[in-house]
Order: sequence, then C-alpha cells, then structure tokens
Amino acid sequence: MREPAWRIFAAEYNDSQHVLKATEEKTPSYVLTPLGAKVNRMFIVGVLTDIEDIGTEGIRRRARISDPTGIHVVYAETFNPEAAGVLSDMEIPSYAAIVGKARIYEPEEGMLYLSTRAEVARKSTIDTRNQWIIEACRGTLLRINAMKDAMNMSNPTPRQLRELGYPSFIAEGVTEALKMYSDIDIDTYEELLREALSFITSEEKEMKKDYAAEEGTLLQIIGELEGEEGALWDAVAEEAVKRGMAREVMEEVIILLMEKGMVYEPQLGKLKLV
Amino acid sequence: MMETDVEKAIDEILGRVDADRETVEKDLKKFIEYGVPLDQAKEAVVTKYGGVAHERQLKDITPHERNINVVAKILTVEEREVTVRDTKRTIHRGLLGDETAVLPFTAWKDFNLQKGDVVRIKNASSSEWDGQPRLSLSEWSEVEKLDRDIEPVQRTPQKLPLADLRPGLSNVEVRGKILSMEEREVTVGDVQKRVFSGIMADETGKIRYSAWHDFSLHEGDVIRIRGAYVRKWRGAPQLVFDEKSTVEKLDEAVAVRDMVLPLYKIVEAEGGVDVLTQGTVIEIRKDSGIIFRCPRCNRKIRDGVCEEDGEVQGVEDLRIKAVIDDGTGAVDVIFNRELSEKLLGKTLEEYLAIAREAMDYEVVHDEIVDRLLMVPLQIRGDSIPSDFIITLFAREAEPLQLDYKKEADEILSQLEG
Repeated sequence: MREPAWRIFAAEYNDSQHVLKATEEKTPSYVLTPLGAKVNRMFIVGVLTDIEDIGTEGIRRRARISDPTGIHVVYAETFNPEAAGVLSDMEIPSYAAIVGKARIYEPEEGMLYLSTRAEVARKSTIDTRNQWIIEACRGTLLRINAMKDAMNMSNPTPRQLRELGYPSFIAEGVTEALKMYSDIDIDTYEELLREALSFITSEEKEMKKDYAAEEGTLLQIIGELEGEEGALWDAVAEEAVKRGMAREVMEEVIILLMEKGMVYEPQLGKLKLV
Repeated sequence: MMETDVEKAIDEILGRVDADRETVEKDLKKFIEYGVPLDQAKEAVVTKYGGVAHERQLKDITPHERNINVVAKILTVEEREVTVRDTKRTIHRGLLGDETAVLPFTAWKDFNLQKGDVVRIKNASSSEWDGQPRLSLSEWSEVEKLDRDIEPVQRTPQKLPLADLRPGLSNVEVRGKILSMEEREVTVGDVQKRVFSGIMADETGKIRYSAWHDFSLHEGDVIRIRGAYVRKWRGAPQLVFDEKSTVEKLDEAVAVRDMVLPLYKIVEAEGGVDVLTQGTVIEIRKDSGIIFRCPRCNRKIRDGVCEEDGEVQGVEDLRIKAVIDDGTGAVDVIFNRELSEKLLGKTLEEYLAIAREAMDYEVVHDEIVDRLLMVPLQIRGDSIPSDFIITLFAREAEPLQLDYKKEADEILSQLEG
C-alpha cells in the first residue's frame, strides 16, 4: 500500500537517530523518530527561508522550510526538475508545501543526516500552514500518548497498544522506538506542542489587524538607517514615533517582519533588511 | 538436544498416534542418531504410525503442525481465486468446527466440500492466521464424508462496531439500524431462496448486509444480530446472516451520524460503502482532465481507438484522479464530471473551449493542479481495493474549512488533561 505522508515537526524528525532499513527488495526504508513515527513519505508546510543551488550538474537545489519547531531541509533533485523549478520561483519568505520522501545520508556508522527529497512542491497559504500545524500536533499528541501508555507497560507489545485503541502503525512504531531509543524526553515534545499551538492562537490576534501601512513605513525607515552595520532598534523606534506610530505597534510590527523573514537582527539591538 | 525436548516430542507423538511409548522412543532416537532434526524426526515417526492416527480435537491444534487428522463439520465454505507465485489457483476456504472449537480452513484442492458436511480429514497441516491456527488441506490430504452429525461448539460472538468489520471475520455480534432493504429470489444449487439485502448503519459507519432468512425486517428497524460473518462482496465487506444467526429487534434509537474516518481505517477495511473522510490532495494523477470515452462501452479511449470497439468517435468527459492523504493513509479518489466541475468552478464545455483556444488539452490538467493540489477536502463515496491502493469513488466533495483556533484549543486541553 502507498506510504502515508506524515505531518511531522522538524524538531522530532531531526532528532531521529535510527533508520529501519529495507530488508527485502521493494520494501521501503523508514526513519524511526523518538516518538515512534515510521517516516518514509512526509508532507511539510512552512515558511521557505532559503534556497540555494548546489552541485554543478543539472538542477539540484536545497531549500530550508521553517516550521514552529525547527527547520526542514528539502532537496529538489535533478530527476525532479518540476519541484526544483517551483521552489526557485518562490519568493523568500513565503509559505511552501512539500510532499517528499525521507532522505537518509549516513556517511559512517552513527552519523545520520536527515532531510527530505521533494516529490511535489507548491506555493502555499497561511490557511494550509495552520491546518498543517493542527494535523502535525494531533499526530504528535497521539504518539506522545501511546508512548506514555507503552512506558507504563512492563513489556509493551503492538498488540497491547492496539487493544488500547491505537492504530497498528502507531502501535508498531512506538514499540520499536522504545526498544531503540534509550532516553525519550516526552516533556520536550509536549512543550514543543504548546509552542506550536501558540503560533496559531497568537497569530490569530495579529491577523485581525492589517499592518501593511506600518510595515511599509518601518521597512523604509530601516532601509534609510541600516547602513553597513544595521539600524539601531532605538533609532528606528524614535523615527517611527516621529511619523506617528505608537511604540507598541512598532515593536509588534518589527517582530512580524522578522517572522516573515523580511527583517533580521545581525546582532542584538540592530535591524537590517533581508 | 535437551532430554526434555525429546520427552515432549514423544508425548506429542503419543497424542497423535496409537503406539506404545517404548517403540516410539526407540524409533525417534534412531532418527536423531542419524542426525535428523527433532521436528522432522517427530513427523517421520508420526507418519510411520499414520495408519492408526488419532482424530484430534480442534481445540488442541496449534499453528505449524503437520499430519493432522480431525472429524469436523463444514460451517461455511466459499470459493476464491488467489494468485500464488504468478499462478492463478482456485481455493476453498471457510470455517469448520467440532464439539471443542471452530477453526478457519483453506483447501488447496477441490474436495467438493459443502456447507453442513461432516467430514474426516486426514493429513492436514496448520498455519497461523491472525494469531490463531488455520487448517490447511493440500493435495496430499484425504477427505471422507461421514454419515453422522456433530453439534459444533457455540463460540461467544465477538461484539464489533460496523466500522471495524473486515472480510473473513466470523461469529460477530453487531447492532445497527436498517437503512434500506430489498428482497430478491435467488437459486442456490437447486433451491429457490429469498435474500434480503441492503445497507445498515450504526454510530461508526455503514455496511452492506444480506440476510438469507426472513427475519421480517423493515427499514428503520434497530436490530442486534449474533452469529453473523463478514465476506467480501463487490470489493467491500458485506455482513451475512442466516437462520443460524439470532436477530433481535431492539427498542432503542441508533444515531446514524456521519463519522469522519481516518484514511488508515479506509485502507484497512479493504473497501467500504458510503464512507466519509478528509484529507489533502497531494498528487494529481496524469490522466486527470479531459478524457475521451467510447460511445458504446464508456471505456476511456486512446487516440480515437477503443480497446473493445476499435475506432470510434470519442465522447468528451471531465474527471479528476487524485491521491488524498491525511498523514495516516492514502487513497486514490476519482471525481466524476459533476464533482470535478463543482470543485474547479468551470464546466466541461468551458474547459473544451479553453483547450481548443490553447490547442492543448494539457491546459486543463495544469489548471486542476493549480486549483486542487495541496488543498484539503472532505469526501464521501464508496471505496474498492486494488493491488497497491484503495480507490474511492467520490459522490460528494467539498473544500475543507477548519476553525484553527478552536482546534488548537481542543488539542491544548487534551495536552493538559
């Protein structure tokens, strides 16, 4: 059967240290995450923060897609020029959706580099991004709960977890992860869920107000003041107040611009345009 | 080799054949001296005394045994085509039972087994299926029909919600509401029978049923059925019950409510009727867009040629074939013309005009990708399995709108609870 496309947060995926290698021909390999997701195919929606050409032959690109917990590294390979083309036509930053396969690079025993090889790439929307966060959270929570239940069993088996109502693919992955990982820090992942969810609940507030005008003004101010080193935060604030913007609004909009990837801090207290 | 293993093997042989301990032990040890592995040695001794083998009780049979002799009654049997190592074979499978247990069986040769037959089976073997032993009858097994009856054990039925019914399950207990019913006359062998079939539902889902006995059921009845079984019919599970099942009318309401099924359940069910699901379009298949159908047989044609009817004047049609995935499973969904037009917001005629303008039918495919790829949808339809994927024939489809804030709060409360 076709492998499902896991919605999985970058933090959990990148924490993985074990790969379940294909045992026979035509069976897939899986990345086994600490919470027991057996990932072969994945679906990622996030903010495209960077794209670069790599290698010399043909089209090969590496993109970084940010989700509330970390960065997904996505490769678009020569044999899939369509995905590579879509990616390079996108603006940075913008919402991007990727369907891809787990890309496993293990140069030597114990050294594991995980990324995603894009099958399909697509420009996306904030709605799809929010929907993705919800789906990723639901999946993570299910694995956290299964993991907690399994940890309470003296000798957990997939069958016991299935009897508690977990789907078999979760029951199997969780039992395997428990065998292969010695220290699974569930608290970290619970905290990660809270943060990811606050992304949605707080963003709702910001979205209620349209700061397009203020964004324009601030981008202009930073552009005027940044020079080589970047504009001093206080100087930008002063100028913004002069132009009739409340200090709190200015702070909120700067944070918004940084989240959108349009402004960054080369060092603390200084602002520069991307 | 442990002495206790040998002792165990001797006990097992004595349980299967009529012979005295001393002889069996001598024979077994001789094989072992020659380096024959214990399992094979055991079978060799059993075979030696096979002519006077015991009939065993079904409850004592464990997986991976050979040379099993039993007397049992055939409770159900159906013919199936299977492909083994690229060769099509006809097998018969079903359930058989004695006073001690009921087991599933598979016959790899046609022994002309009929429901209700009491048979003596010689030289069968057992395999494991879903954690329980299954009896396997091969070329080398013998079947003899006996002129006596046995009353097989009544197992406690397994209580299941309709959404969890899978083909192959037997002796299940379900409760649900009859949504539709029709009556037909069929001929089974030489006997005229009346069959009552339709769709029933509970809180978890819907299933096709067929009742081979007149329980005077009516649409709207809420019933409990004990002792039904599930078979595969037209690609989907079907609940079957007959005069051996008990049907009880209940004075209670069943809230037939649509449950959105996660896709892994639809994949595991191997087909279903009127299922509701949600997922994101993660791939548009190449043969989506404007296609041409044969005016005679309605098949999709290529370059004006129908496989069946040769050169024909194709009739234009619009359809979308897409992979829908919710992170737990993936299915192919086929949207017919009506649904495609609704999802895309343009009619077939409009697309034909656009395609003629562009002199390329591909533009329609491109627009489908533009409009639907990565879009979450809610879909209702019937699903049918094939080799590599389940196909869902959509009857309803609409873009999915979620209240993210509410969803986020709900997950947060589960996290704290």
